[in-house]
Amino acid sequence: MPATPSGGSRQSLPAPRRLSPGQSTKTLDIRRLGRIGYGEALALQRTLVADRQAGAVSDVLLLVEHPPVLTLGARGDGGRSHILASDEALRSRGIDVFEAGRGGDVTYHGPGQLVGYPIVDLKPDRQDVHRYVRDLEEVLIRAAASSGVEAGRVNGLTGVWVGGEKLAAIGVRIARWVTSHGFALNVSTDLADFGLIVPCGIQDRGVTSLERLLGRQVDRAAVEEAVAHQFREVFGYQ
Amino acid sequence: MASYPAGYKYTKDHEWIELSGDRGKVGITDYAQAQLGDVVYVELPEVGATLKQGQSFGTIESVKAVSELYSPVTGEVVEVNGALKDKPESINATPHESWMVVIRLTQPSEASALLDATQYQALIK
Repeated sequence: MPATPSGGSRQSLPAPRRLSPGQSTKTLDIRRLGRIGYGEALALQRTLVADRQAGAVSDVLLLVEHPPVLTLGARGDGGRSHILASDEALRSRGIDVFEAGRGGDVTYHGPGQLVGYPIVDLKPDRQDVHRYVRDLEEVLIRAAASSGVEAGRVNGLTGVWVGGEKLAAIGVRIARWVTSHGFALNVSTDLADFGLIVPCGIQDRGVTSLERLLGRQVDRAAVEEAVAHQFREVFGYQ
Repeated sequence: MASYPAGYKYTKDHEWIELSGDRGKVGITDYAQAQLGDVVYVELPEVGATLKQGQSFGTIESVKAVSELYSPVTGEVVEVNGALKDKPESINATPHESWMVVIRLTQPSEASALLDATQYQALIK
């Protein structure tokens, strides 16, 4: 079973780790926060982006899980028209809809999904938005491989795919080369919940998970460890 | 490679401004559009918005990434290029003609401190 911390959806967050002046910032602070609300994660990211821009913290990778939630992208209606469920149906299930301000269309987050929010300063040598998105894909492709799943890219589309089905979604925001938002990897997600939306606004492709692909239970902690490890490798942290 | 108009001023955040009297047309540079890739959406402020130098005045979206746009100067938005909503790809095709907003400068001295074309090209080398 995917491990979720006890104590429900609200938990106090650790204080940001402050850097002393002159300390190298090419380090990565990985914070495994377990299950937290989407709004809380959004607020934490905003704080960390400002702190990172000011050089007050090192690069951070937040690894979280959200209660069921739909989030919209920044463009146009953000993909609101790709929500298939009625407002009433969403309300009755307690599913909130957030405007996320990231790239991409509507997406679903929920239990069994490993969500990662890298707050990374791409200056001075990674200032390439394409490369950043491709690097996130690389992290997830390698992490999937360590679970025994061969995943890849689909030309012209973002995300990580297996046989035409989406295993992980990516949508990011970049402000003064500091990143936020990130990726969502389906470990043991209830895929029926994607029926609430047209995922990422793409009509003709399905969604999958590591558990579905492997036909067995997958240890979330192991996947989290693999993602953390591959993130360090691909982005070149000590 | 696109040329960088000698009459424009540039910022380290990769915006350009073409000054004319107390007004300036603002867009992003060829370097910036190449970094972003195919632009699919641009969000711009309303006419009348006031901006400080370095303040975000909108966002630009490409390959599932939203990036912020920063004002090169302090002033008021007096015109917005609404045509970019329908044709965001023109930012890739003609970045130095695809202006986003016109700003009426309230602190014109800021503009003279911006980079010229030679300095900007040295920055992105």
